[in-house]
Amino acid sequence: MPVQKKHGLFWTRSRKEALAAWLFILPDTIGLLIFVAIPMVLALSLGFFSVDGFGGYKFIGLANYYRMFRDPLFLGSLWVTIVYVLCLVPGLYVSGLGLALLVRQRIPLIGVWRSLFFMPYVVSLVVIALVWKVLLIDKIGFVNRVLEMIGIPGQAWLGDPRFALAAVLVITIWFLMGYYMVIFLSGLQEIPREYYEAAQIDGAKSWTMFTRITLPLLRPTSFFVLLVSTVSAVSGSQAFDIIYVMTNGGPANSTSLAVFYIYEQAFKFNNYGYAAAMASFLVVILLVLTLIMFAATRGGRFHLT
Amino acid sequence: MAETKLENNSSDQLADVAAGVTRRELLKTGGKIAAAAAVSSVFAPFFIHTARAAATKTLSFWQFYAPRGGVASQSKWFEDCVAGWNATHDVKVELQYVPNNDYMNGSKLQTAFASGHGPDIFIISPGDFLRYANGGVLTDLTPYMDEEAKKDFFPNVMRTREVEGKIYGLPMEVEPMGMFYSVKAFEEAGLSEKDVPKTWDELLELAHKLTKGNRFGCLFETTPGYYQTFTWYPFMWQGGGDIVAPDGKKSAFNSPGTVQALKFWQDSIKQNVASRNFLGGGVWDVVANLAAGYCAIQNVGIWGISALRENAKDFQYGVFPLPLPPGGQPSSDLGGWAFVANAKGPNPEEAAKFCVWALGSMQQDSIQRVVDWCIKAKSDVSPRKSALDKATAAGGYDSAAMKMFKDVIFPTGRGEPRLAPEVYKAVSDSIQASQLNGADPKQTAEQGAQLIDSFLAGYSGAPML
Repeated sequence: MPVQKKHGLFWTRSRKEALAAWLFILPDTIGLLIFVAIPMVLALSLGFFSVDGFGGYKFIGLANYYRMFRDPLFLGSLWVTIVYVLCLVPGLYVSGLGLALLVRQRIPLIGVWRSLFFMPYVVSLVVIALVWKVLLIDKIGFVNRVLEMIGIPGQAWLGDPRFALAAVLVITIWFLMGYYMVIFLSGLQEIPREYYEAAQIDGAKSWTMFTRITLPLLRPTSFFVLLVSTVSAVSGSQAFDIIYVMTNGGPANSTSLAVFYIYEQAFKFNNYGYAAAMASFLVVILLVLTLIMFAATRGGRFHLT
Repeated sequence: MAETKLENNSSDQLADVAAGVTRRELLKTGGKIAAAAAVSSVFAPFFIHTARAAATKTLSFWQFYAPRGGVASQSKWFEDCVAGWNATHDVKVELQYVPNNDYMNGSKLQTAFASGHGPDIFIISPGDFLRYANGGVLTDLTPYMDEEAKKDFFPNVMRTREVEGKIYGLPMEVEPMGMFYSVKAFEEAGLSEKDVPKTWDELLELAHKLTKGNRFGCLFETTPGYYQTFTWYPFMWQGGGDIVAPDGKKSAFNSPGTVQALKFWQDSIKQNVASRNFLGGGVWDVVANLAAGYCAIQNVGIWGISALRENAKDFQYGVFPLPLPPGGQPSSDLGGWAFVANAKGPNPEEAAKFCVWALGSMQQDSIQRVVDWCIKAKSDVSPRKSALDKATAAGGYDSAAMKMFKDVIFPTGRGEPRLAPEVYKAVSDSIQASQLNGADPKQTAEQGAQLIDSFLAGYSGAPML
């Protein structure tokens, strides 16, 4: 009996609820541990080894990291990544917000328009890349035909180093803008209409309302969009598929993002250790960028600013 | 309610009793198993090679000729081959199809080996030979072959499949590179077979005449990577250039032969007579490009003949050898895939025996299998003298295109080089820079040579040829 009493005292309601909560998140935690945390630790460890891809591991300390900073191809791919991120993140922000503002208007068939803008996002990236590859081809591609109709000479968009990265960027933005449109739309709908009504009564113009009401109150959404799109751009989560199918990193390495070069080193050159070191370096860059963003916004708590 | 709870408790207790463990014990054991699984997954990659059984009754055979693929007779050849073995041997072989792109450019094979689960038998091209040979996963097939059979294979084909006189791969085909042209495009430009170009200058001049409307005069590979280098090598060889010096320790890439070959491909782009893109899967795809009218002349291998036979029956075409630079020597790149056996698999001996039984024995069925592959399933030159004679006698090389490849192009060919990926990457980057980015060929050759030299300084694997 005393044991039962002790047991009853221990299992208070709050403790039971805490246990239930832990049990609910346990499967996810185990999944994250096995499929994310442990592979991350392993990948970080691999960076200190020479791995031949056939079961051979040799500890080489920081040699992979030394090699990384002297590898012109890796440094070149980092530069391509920087250009890609600097174009993609603002491009996505402007297109996503622009579309959200557009489809917030009371225009006929608004549901259809919203679906159309979102539609590319539900299609497989490989399919998108294959379709665009045909659309962009020299001479007979749809894009060049349209351009030639309006007097602009066609180009080998994917075969010319001057245009290939731009083509990849445009396709990535076109693919993702619908997704960010939905996020901005939800942010816009949280802004009370009364603010706009009051501003209208005071004689404010559309641009003033946009800069004084919309943008400031959208800061939490903007922060989320900038953070997620930066992570996605640096890690190349969409670009990899597109580049793999459309350009294979070419022409002349002009679309060889860091993630693509890491893939090549791992799976084409069998340099798993070197690839892991470069991947770890990329993660550090991402962490620093994220920390800067959180520091600049005090952890995204905009109501305190 | 109370009754229900009581019933539930009783049933739980009964279940526990039936299982012979208490709930607490069950949870404890479950926790231990989960922890053990998590820990073992961390260290699994370090022990992968000890996990497999010592012997097996089934050998896996990976290749990329899928059922209902481009050419039905090719997958059927593989099925018949395996069925023939399985009917007469205790240890069975099981075919596994890997999609073409995943096999050649993807990570399927590499990750399988990295995790210690590589196939027992698989096919590789010389481009991938060093990766697997240096990784120690190729079985020496020599002990399982007769002397007569070893001599039956053409030496220029075997050179890149051997290390220190030991045979590690048995080729199923030889695929020389040539130039295919569209008869219709020629006729439209007022040209005929007599006008096929013999020199690089003549080719560029002809390509100008053939570039019209939506059609390019000629087409060379533009996608970076192994295949592009494979198609470009013979243009370099024609002028005496090479990648690695004969001793294998220094680069030979920075040479006049290399520079002029880089410039030739660059000129074709600069003069707007060759496309920077392609249709279909790549420039290896003759149906999607030449037959579709995207170009008038295309740099393709002998496999183009069977592709056109199967998928563009009415298309009229001709074949000619690669044109030459001033003072150049005829050359071609002899590609092709080979059967290899996994030395780290559970039963490398049986896997090796299968490879030899299928392609490398003096038995008539083995020779006939090579004949069938080269002239029925595909359109290739046979890697074996006996099979080539037999295929010729059977009329397999009677057509003008097959005859051109067998009698004119093949004798001038050199085995597809086997190079470390870092070396072909340096070559590929040089081609890309000059061909598509307008870089100075001389400078790109110098940079490529430096990269190759720095890699060779630390290289210790099988010789690059």
